[in-house]
Amino acid sequence: METRRDVFQAIADPTRREIIDLLARQPMNLNSIAGNFDVTRPAISNHIRILRECGIVEVQQIGRERYCKIESAGLKEAAEWIGKYNALWRQNVNAFEKYLYKLKSKRAHYGKGK
Amino acid sequence: MEKENDLARRTLSLKRTFDAPVGLVWEAWTQPEHIAQWWGPKGMKTEIITHEFRVGGKWKYEMAMPDGSKFTCDGTYSEIIKEKKIVSSANFRPMTEGVEIRAVFEEKGDKTEFVFSVVHATEEYCQQQEKMGFYNGWGSTFDRLGEYFKLIAR
Repeated sequence: METRRDVFQAIADPTRREIIDLLARQPMNLNSIAGNFDVTRPAISNHIRILRECGIVEVQQIGRERYCKIESAGLKEAAEWIGKYNALWRQNVNAFEKYLYKLKSKRAHYGKGK
Repeated sequence: MEKENDLARRTLSLKRTFDAPVGLVWEAWTQPEHIAQWWGPKGMKTEIITHEFRVGGKWKYEMAMPDGSKFTCDGTYSEIIKEKKIVSSANFRPMTEGVEIRAVFEEKGDKTEFVFSVVHATEEYCQQQEKMGFYNGWGSTFDRLGEYFKLIAR
């Protein structure tokens, strides 16, 4: 099965949003990230994996430590999301207008037959 | 600090003049069989799950994404004035919660002036979130991302 791996999925989860917030300030290793949350380390590790697959977080091995940092290109896409959200509303209103005119001409058409 | 600025940034306002009488605009905007035809992004099928069109009534729409996952929006109507105004709360999971949406209709002969606005989080909601030590889940992430971009752009 194909799993969706994009920004949408990355930021759908509140813990992942907090991880993004943390890493936006500074790169951190897995232990220090996990120290900020009440969930288990494997759970954090899983979130990091998803963020990585979504292209938002990069993991670098430095010595024995794995450092997580924000992948700026992926994050840029995330930051533009709010813009996309507004675009969604615009699209909604546009779609409404289109439908309205279709409905209007349909009514006018039926009206003639009466 | 920049409260006004902040509110303006949280509000989206779309203004249109529809070449249709207000009765028809109202009907197309409020009746479920019509809503299902225009609501939601292209390529997604919208299903009207709940439609209690009265003050205090709830609404819930479900949109199926091409991969089969469901995208839900729901809310509660707080004000309905026939052919004039609709105010409702709205949640768009998982993106955002506590948005207020307003649709205002004004009859202009055979045409209708229409203003649609979205306030990304009500002031009350923001205050409540601040008190609890959180920010609006999305707002803060994007505010900080914005700051981050200013930093890396230097």
